[in-house]
Amino acid sequence: MPEDHSYWYLASYPKSGNTWCRIFIAELLRLAGDDPGGELNLNKDLETGAIASSRLWLDDQLGVNSCDLSFSELDPLRGRAGASAWLFAEGERFHKVHDAFQSPDSRGRPVVSTAGCSGVVYILRHPEDVAVSLSHFFSWPLERCVDYLLDPNAALVPGEHFGDLQVRQHMGRWDQHVCSWADQTQLSVLIMRYEDMLANGLETFTKLARFLGIPDEPKLIQQALDNTSIDRLKKLEDDVDGFAEKPAGCERFFRSGRTGEGAEQLTIEQRKCLAKGLADAMKRFQYEGPELV
Amino acid sequence: MPAASPGIYQALGMHLETTLVLPELIQSAPSVEHEPLVEVVEADHQQWPELQASPHSTPTLQLAPQEWRLELEGIGWFRATSGERLEWQRWDDSVSDRDIRTFVATSGLGALAIQRGALVLHGTALERDGEAILLLGHPVAGKSTLAWCLLQHGWRLLSSELVAVSPDGLVLPGMHQLKLWHDAAVALKLNWKQLPPVRKGLKRYALHAHDLDCLPQAAPLRLIYALNHAKADSGQEDGAEVEDAKEKMSLKASHNFSQTTSLMRLRNNAFQARVYRGMDAEAQLFMQAAALARTVPVHALIVPDGVKEMAESLKKVDLMRPESMQQPTEVIEEGASNA
Repeated sequence: MPEDHSYWYLASYPKSGNTWCRIFIAELLRLAGDDPGGELNLNKDLETGAIASSRLWLDDQLGVNSCDLSFSELDPLRGRAGASAWLFAEGERFHKVHDAFQSPDSRGRPVVSTAGCSGVVYILRHPEDVAVSLSHFFSWPLERCVDYLLDPNAALVPGEHFGDLQVRQHMGRWDQHVCSWADQTQLSVLIMRYEDMLANGLETFTKLARFLGIPDEPKLIQQALDNTSIDRLKKLEDDVDGFAEKPAGCERFFRSGRTGEGAEQLTIEQRKCLAKGLADAMKRFQYEGPELV
Repeated sequence: MPAASPGIYQALGMHLETTLVLPELIQSAPSVEHEPLVEVVEADHQQWPELQASPHSTPTLQLAPQEWRLELEGIGWFRATSGERLEWQRWDDSVSDRDIRTFVATSGLGALAIQRGALVLHGTALERDGEAILLLGHPVAGKSTLAWCLLQHGWRLLSSELVAVSPDGLVLPGMHQLKLWHDAAVALKLNWKQLPPVRKGLKRYALHAHDLDCLPQAAPLRLIYALNHAKADSGQEDGAEVEDAKEKMSLKASHNFSQTTSLMRLRNNAFQARVYRGMDAEAQLFMQAAALARTVPVHALIVPDGVKEMAESLKKVDLMRPESMQQPTEVIEEGASNA
């Protein structure tokens, strides 16, 4: 049998359900594997593959110290990194991405490799709820999070003054991020709304499993969903004394998981601001905001 | 304009002849007798013969036994062959000598040294009282910042970024340069406005030999430290936060690793494992790393997460004495990752 070197991206704006999706996939594969007993260890079993912005991975692929390159030099190169059959080791097939598909520096090219890629799962969530979740994650006031969602230059690790284990990930405005992945034509894409993952879990995750070509028996899907509910994830986070992907200052990674928190916690002005700035994309993906007069 | 006269430099056990000015390397006197010189020359990449590239090659990195080629869009082409010759070509006229030498003096020299049979590791080596330590770690692990702090305590720089160790356990002098990020330079109270950037536009500065205390001779390797960063916030709320905060301000060393763990650490920190594999030199790496793991102790070094904290903590410990950074009750796992 030929070796399967295909790989997938799990792309999203931050705090939109990407980690939940990765954990679900890891849990589904664990349950379908040879040793389904016990339970998932968040800090040991979540080896679903390196984040596409990993500096170590890029250095290995490019053959240089990427700290010696500016972001504008690096972004056009990133899409070529890994365009070979030796890209990812077996078992590391699902790669988290928070970048937009292209960046202003990438000369119209994708910032991720598309060669040999089987497709992308794009996860999106109501921007009002993203704002609340960002606020807890980064310990930022809500107002700053609203501005961030509307900032065409928004990026993760944007600083050029220090080195980080990840390179800059340009995201742009929330709607630009969504459309960059939803409208690209180089990779087949499955779009999943966080709200559907929560409200229609079995149906939504069955579509995901079929898209990825992983086990899709309803019993297994339901079991994986039960094992990765927000309450279970909170317990698993407690079990490992803090999830490795939680930033300093953030009390816990898995917090509420609810929908509708944005409508409760943002001011009407903040909600209007988002609705006005992101109107087309919100409408396209059936996200409601306050009425704009 | 007449061509610049060639200079002779010494690095990683090689003597190089080049018209590039390489302030990060040690300049040698032309009259001294050397082994055959390694030529570092400008060339036309279109004249390079077709290559049967290893499957470990990538779009930017073409590899084969004794052959290393790097294509960096917008910067240039580079080729190292048989440990004897390093060629380069600018992408266009906008590319400066500084751009070229940034990659010649790192990836290019590393590839040449591997071709010549050296053990080349991601690390920074320093000497004091005739003995060397090696700080092992990938880029952004904090090696240069820690090295700068150590230089203030009487240490001398042997090589930064990449380090070559000879079969008889000597660290060979190499890159006499430290690259510091803007934030680190500010925290260390350096006059960053006076420092040249590593490359134009980067907020990362180069400190060269005239700014640093460097050693131009080889020194025996006594200890290896694999760098790990302390987490600024463990997320624990167990009532021992004050004690934890103190702990996070201290440098801590593990007991020395088992030979197997040491070997894995050394292999994982090879100066570009892909380059070793692609040039069919992985067996060479394994043998050399195993020999080093047998003879030189490797410890994990937990570094405080903050430049000021790092500088302060160095006042209380001696890196030649790992026991000065160990606590009897503390167990730092061998598995502490810096992969």
